[in-house]
Amino acid sequence: MFKYIVQRLIIFLPTLLAVSLVAFSLSKLAPGDPVELLVKGQSGESGQKASVQAYEEVSRRLGLDLPVFYGALTTSAFPDTLHLVIKKSERESLSNLISQYGNWPQISDYYLSLKSLEREVAYFPVDTAISLMRNTISRHVKDLLINNKDSRIAFALSEIKTIVSDSSSLNTLQPLATQVADNYAKVKSEATVFKNYIPSLNWYGFKNQYHHWITNFFKGDFGFSYLDSRPVGGKMWDALRWTLIINFISIILAYLIAIPIGVSTAVKKDGLYDRVVTTVLFILYSLPSFWIGTLLIVFFTTSEYSPWLNWFPTGGVTDLPSSTPFFTRAIDIMHHLALPIFCVTYGSFAFISRQMRGGMLTVIRQDYIRTAKAKGLEEKSIVWKHAFRNSLFPIITLFAYIFPAAIAGAVTIEVIYSIPGMGKLAVDSIVARDWPVVFTILMFAAILTMIGNLVADLLYALADPRVSYGNKK
Amino acid sequence: MFLGKKKAQQIENAIQNTPPRSDQSYWANVKRQFYKNRLAVWSLRIFYAILFIAVFADFLSNERPLVCKLDGKVMFPVLKQYSVSLGIGQWEQQFVTKRWNEHDYQFVIWPTIPYSSTSIDKLNRSFVGPFDEQRVKSLRWKHLLGTDELGRDVAAGMIHGTRIAISVGIIAMSISSLIGIFLGSIAGYFGDNRLQMSRIRLILNLIGIVLGVFYAFIARGYALGEGAAEGGGFMMQLLLSFGILFGMMILVNLLASGLKRLPGLGKRVNIAADLLVMRLIEVFNSIPGLLLILSIVALTKPSIVNVMIIIGFISWTSIARFIRAELLRIRNLEYIEAAQAMGFSEARIIFRHAIPNALTPVLITIAFGIASAILTEAFLSFLGIGVAAEEVTWGSLLNLARSNFPAWWLAIFPGTAIFITVTIFNLIGEGLTDALDPRLKQ
Repeated sequence: MFKYIVQRLIIFLPTLLAVSLVAFSLSKLAPGDPVELLVKGQSGESGQKASVQAYEEVSRRLGLDLPVFYGALTTSAFPDTLHLVIKKSERESLSNLISQYGNWPQISDYYLSLKSLEREVAYFPVDTAISLMRNTISRHVKDLLINNKDSRIAFALSEIKTIVSDSSSLNTLQPLATQVADNYAKVKSEATVFKNYIPSLNWYGFKNQYHHWITNFFKGDFGFSYLDSRPVGGKMWDALRWTLIINFISIILAYLIAIPIGVSTAVKKDGLYDRVVTTVLFILYSLPSFWIGTLLIVFFTTSEYSPWLNWFPTGGVTDLPSSTPFFTRAIDIMHHLALPIFCVTYGSFAFISRQMRGGMLTVIRQDYIRTAKAKGLEEKSIVWKHAFRNSLFPIITLFAYIFPAAIAGAVTIEVIYSIPGMGKLAVDSIVARDWPVVFTILMFAAILTMIGNLVADLLYALADPRVSYGNKK
Repeated sequence: MFLGKKKAQQIENAIQNTPPRSDQSYWANVKRQFYKNRLAVWSLRIFYAILFIAVFADFLSNERPLVCKLDGKVMFPVLKQYSVSLGIGQWEQQFVTKRWNEHDYQFVIWPTIPYSSTSIDKLNRSFVGPFDEQRVKSLRWKHLLGTDELGRDVAAGMIHGTRIAISVGIIAMSISSLIGIFLGSIAGYFGDNRLQMSRIRLILNLIGIVLGVFYAFIARGYALGEGAAEGGGFMMQLLLSFGILFGMMILVNLLASGLKRLPGLGKRVNIAADLLVMRLIEVFNSIPGLLLILSIVALTKPSIVNVMIIIGFISWTSIARFIRAELLRIRNLEYIEAAQAMGFSEARIIFRHAIPNALTPVLITIAFGIASAILTEAFLSFLGIGVAAEEVTWGSLLNLARSNFPAWWLAIFPGTAIFITVTIFNLIGEGLTDALDPRLKQ
């Protein structure tokens, strides 16, 4: 037994690491630039200099200026310093250039000259006469920074060249512009494509984004939401409250109804009552909860179909401000939560009943029940004292499976009834690509599932000594 | 989701404890048991009906006529649609400029539902119900199950959705069966101490995987990215990448076969296949599937094919467990020993002799798995994640009911379809479970 627990705990860590790696790599594959999102939210339209500074500051705060992982298997054409290019779009275009030409020194020269041209253009004294041309140039330079297709680059370079040579006031930019064009020509002429086919292993050490995130996670610091910059922990806690309320009530309800029904159907096996109830339970078990949720919200929350069907509020958790007395508010909340709780409950209720019935049936067949009957004990006392107790324990262990499943399963119901719980938070964050929140929820859900599985297995072994978890040979 | 962990455990134990069977007609026995279960048999019949709708969806609901005679020429537009979508044929000018139902046919047979799932009826826009007054030419053109906001026919959408649901179930389960059967049979057949290979082969295989991944995906990352951006070429590029990986593995193994004769390199090492696979299964089972599918699907370009593939890659674990349990039993049977004594290769024994006898329990998981895959897809399109906006599925139709409460037909019909499909697959699964081992019958 002890060995089994230790074994399970040893699995715990690699699993968590695997989940964290999956979540992390998903966020890295995601298109879009979180820093861009945050900077836009913060400063609005301000000067170029300020926005560049803000960008650097934000990416430093998020730790995005670090290398992504401990090490990387790349081609020998890639430098191990590419992460120092802070802007994500520029980094991507550079890495595409490397894949095309394979000569980092030349590409780096080209990039640096392009950057200095960008700076020069940005600081160029603003004069109404030339501001239009200056803007055109700056647009082309931006284009160059994020493009890697030869035709696009050639076009932008020639455009810049014509504008610079045509206008006398922009003449000071001439040397830089030619330098950029020369560097680009060099990138093309001195290509070393073969380098892209030589593998190389880079090692970045512990100062990397993943390490940063995972150590903070275990310290309890989950980072900040990209959307509203609130701490993820706080956001999750607010959401978790509602999910816990719904799930606790629904699980308790499910057990309270399921156990008597399971027992009574098992006792009256194959009777009419048993057959009807079993069929109903099977149907309930197969009904998708998001359909039932939709049906209930369509028919019972408005007076669309008939004025006396408007029984429940349409969504949300409460209409009252937090200043109302606790009791009134609690009643209002329950009124709002009635339908969602029903939707979450009926599925697990049907599941538990079926399990309870099965458990009872196996126990009732046992010899000691026949002995009890032969002794002339009352039916009632046989069922509840002898059979029920022995069939109850496996049902209780179900709790450990149901709980994590319920948290994930509530996703649908929370979305339909717009309850600000974990499920809705997860879906909203996934849609909005708010990765810190998604990471944390994924990790927590995995931890909960693992704990649930572990506790269930242990309880099961405790309840039934015949179950062995040693190595069966 | 449908196969509780305890139930899975029960089935697994039952498989392992089934005594060796002497009669050869095992399949016949299972079949006989299955056909005793009336509910399961009826579910199977309904499944055939649904399969029929899914396969012939284009002929049941289409805005094009099945057969028509126009200007003295007989045409089969529904059939022709296939050649056009394959890029072989081309529509005549008159069909591009004019809607299908506006022509003066001399003779015409329309499909049962004369609308496609995407065809828009401008006269019956913004949620016209089946019993509302519809502005149609005749009863033949009535929208039997109503329309949605854009004026798309709901009945056509349901038929098209059937095809999507069934293909999600079948494709997702094919992928997970392939993975599950492969890994499960390796774990079950070899166990912890029967998979041995020469030292050089192990080392070269590890190197081969790293190099294969490098040349297939890292060095070709740019080409893959380009393919993804252009859309069409991505699948070809991906196939090429997998080809490179596969070729690398073959090359490495050929090399190993040659090198293992050298002294020192040929020493056999033991690989705990069962342990590795079981740990992998445990890792997969701990990941909250729905959340993971949601986050992956949100990243990829919305497409139903991606959804199928992702569901398939995530739900292989119970198939692997069942196959493993079955092979743990089979590998000790005499006929396997006989095959080994005759000097057949391991691969031949596994694929020709062991796996074919282990497939029955997989059918159970496949039945339950199809139900759960269909439910997952319906849920995803209900949330509007992962499915292109113009694609009509049961889930997306049901979702429309949420934005417009008076449209009761959108709440009832798609949901019923999802419910019936999921239920019959569950019933078939239960029937198979009972047939496999009558002792499990509760």
